[in-house]
Amino acid sequence: MSISDVLSPFTAWKNLFRDPVTIKDPLNERPGAARYRGFHKNDMDKCIGCGTCETICQNGAIDMLPVEGIPAVQGDSGLRPRIDYGRCCWCALCVDVCMTGSLTMSNEYKWVESDPDLFRFTPGVDKKYWDNAELGYQRHDEKHLMPVAREEMPELHPEARLDSFVEIVQGYNIEQAKLEADRCVSCGLCIATCPAHMAIPDYIKAVRDGDYERGVQLLYETNPFSQVCGRVCTHCCEDSCAARHEGDPIAIRWLKRHIIDQVPQEKVIELIGKPAAPTGKKVAIIGAGPAGLTAAFDLARLGHAVTVYEAQAAGGGMTRYGIPEYRLPYNALDRDIAVITAMGVEIKYNQRVGTDITMQQLEADYDAVVLAIGLHQGRSTRIPGSDHPQVRKAVDLLRQITAGETIDVPKSMVVIGGGNVAMDIARSMARLQLQHYGEIRVTLTALEDKAHFLADPVEIKESLEEQINILDSRGPQACVIDDNGKLLGLKTWKVLSIFDAERRFAPKYDPADEQIHEGEMIVEAIGQMADVSLLGDALTEKLEWNRGRIQIDPNGRTSENWLWSAGDCVKGPDVINAVADGHRVATSIHRALTPQEATA
Amino acid sequence: MQQLYDTLTQRFSLGEFTRQRADLAFITVEAVRLHALLRHLRDQEGFTHLVLLTAVDWLEDGQFQLTYLINNRAKCQDLGLRVMIARDNASMESIHDLWAAAATYQRELREMFGIDFPGSPRLMDDFILEGWNAAPPYRRDFDTLEYSRATYRERPGRETRDPAAHMKQQLYGDKGDV
Repeated sequence: MSISDVLSPFTAWKNLFRDPVTIKDPLNERPGAARYRGFHKNDMDKCIGCGTCETICQNGAIDMLPVEGIPAVQGDSGLRPRIDYGRCCWCALCVDVCMTGSLTMSNEYKWVESDPDLFRFTPGVDKKYWDNAELGYQRHDEKHLMPVAREEMPELHPEARLDSFVEIVQGYNIEQAKLEADRCVSCGLCIATCPAHMAIPDYIKAVRDGDYERGVQLLYETNPFSQVCGRVCTHCCEDSCAARHEGDPIAIRWLKRHIIDQVPQEKVIELIGKPAAPTGKKVAIIGAGPAGLTAAFDLARLGHAVTVYEAQAAGGGMTRYGIPEYRLPYNALDRDIAVITAMGVEIKYNQRVGTDITMQQLEADYDAVVLAIGLHQGRSTRIPGSDHPQVRKAVDLLRQITAGETIDVPKSMVVIGGGNVAMDIARSMARLQLQHYGEIRVTLTALEDKAHFLADPVEIKESLEEQINILDSRGPQACVIDDNGKLLGLKTWKVLSIFDAERRFAPKYDPADEQIHEGEMIVEAIGQMADVSLLGDALTEKLEWNRGRIQIDPNGRTSENWLWSAGDCVKGPDVINAVADGHRVATSIHRALTPQEATA
Repeated sequence: MQQLYDTLTQRFSLGEFTRQRADLAFITVEAVRLHALLRHLRDQEGFTHLVLLTAVDWLEDGQFQLTYLINNRAKCQDLGLRVMIARDNASMESIHDLWAAAATYQRELREMFGIDFPGSPRLMDDFILEGWNAAPPYRRDFDTLEYSRATYRERPGRETRDPAAHMKQQLYGDKGDV
């Protein structure tokens, strides 16, 4: 026996002064382990009621229910999860999948009641003593059940796109689209936000399943402009996407485009099917833009005879004559329109109402008339010199470019405006400059500072990539013209503020900070208005107006019972809103034309 | 570990070798060669301890993966042997004669994955799922939610709403001409 064998029992004595690892009073204090999966907590400020917790629960333990004081709003259903602890197995899948991180777990597990129904409650709403517990199960920070990053969209680099109007966004291939569609949890919060209430989760599921024909049918249930909206929609749906809280929102717009890109046009027409039997009713639509043609599509499918009067040589309205081809190629637009005309819609091109045919004639010849004329008249700054022939409106120039008219491309130019139209004309002219002169000299001046630009962030990013010289907080003061009448450029002052205390437009400038921006041409891109001269004096007088716009009821009907109005000219500029508006007036007209069905 | 693998390949036909860490590696091996290899590793190479035996369901490939993790106490090394077997009528040679404890793992795998180990003691005895009468629950085609719905009673008073339908009703449902 060695000496250490003799001494070792005594070494245990050193533990006498250590803190015990056991619990002192196990009958009363029984704390759960730090990461114990105990009763749930739910942060009401973060929960959006997407119901993904309910969907993933493998025990059917979660119900989504309305809660008093939490209304449904864009991006939040107003529902909250109620958990039945008779079924919950504490697996924490609901916590792991939670799209906002609102649903968590405390380490609290001790709760005794005689009424089993008390073990069914809504965490965060029904107050519990563990609501502020700091310990409990923590999901892994980096490991998300749903991938957080959006599948990257292949795009042409500035060098590859700048000398032509070729489309920048290349579209997903099938593999990329499936991966992106896989990130969607099908909660459907986006549907309420989409003005046309498209069946977004269902068509994303069609991408996952590779069932593109079903996808096309779903798209056409609510939107005959999927080629257009799949490319240039304002995609406000993505602002309501559950995935945006802990990552990128699903690329809903690109998935829509992907579906429609996969199915040939003839197949699309076949999938939609033939229109209903003719009703004998006739509807005239003025303007072949998204609002007018959506109404035309719906009405034609219901069996009404639809004639569309279009002043330009091709259809699409502002989506053709306003949006540059690098964002929306004309052949994509043509495909949407071809499906609409295949439904029996007749489009009379180069027919300007008011000149070629009068409103009175339309009223006499048709059972209903829709005014969907868009906003094609550019607003002017009315600064000194803005009546110079080299001071142009963006909408006019964009229309000329689309129409293929020859434009006297200036070597240098200044754009006034910070919205999407300003970016469109700046980038279009930059392409033409590069083609003509091999260099780009476009300056864009906006009233707003960079943080408050009206244009989409991606438009600004791409404009900068395309060498547009963007200057923020510059207020136009005068177009500088020399003694020979030649336009030299634009004089601007620094903007100090744009709105007054009552939020009225009243820009204030610092005259000391004056700049002259060189330009052989100045383009005003500060907004558009509807050209309502086609109405004629008598009708203009008869109609009711609201702040310069024709007054309409919630269904789009004007004060004249034969006339409806839809789209940008009454609702402001946005494609998907125009589509929604087209549906609205079509429904209203159909009801008006078939009164017996309306009362049934 | 590489050295061990090189030695083993002189005697056994082995599959893929993966060195995970300095003290942990995996070798893929055919099912028929496993028993002899394990015996050799236990008796000649010092891997005297069976750490665990577990399975993975590769549903899409129609295979189960069995992983035998063994430990060399003297060298503080772990070696995992991976065996792929057909998922249909899954069956594997028992190793309870090498390690008696293996019988318990094999009972668990029989119960949770439905893998047969002919000759393994008390194989058909319930392990943890007493009175289980459905498909083995660790198989990936086992529908947990469906089982839960079919097995457990719904408490009265439960109801739920679909978020999209609820939002439609609250925010924009068709109100007709107004």
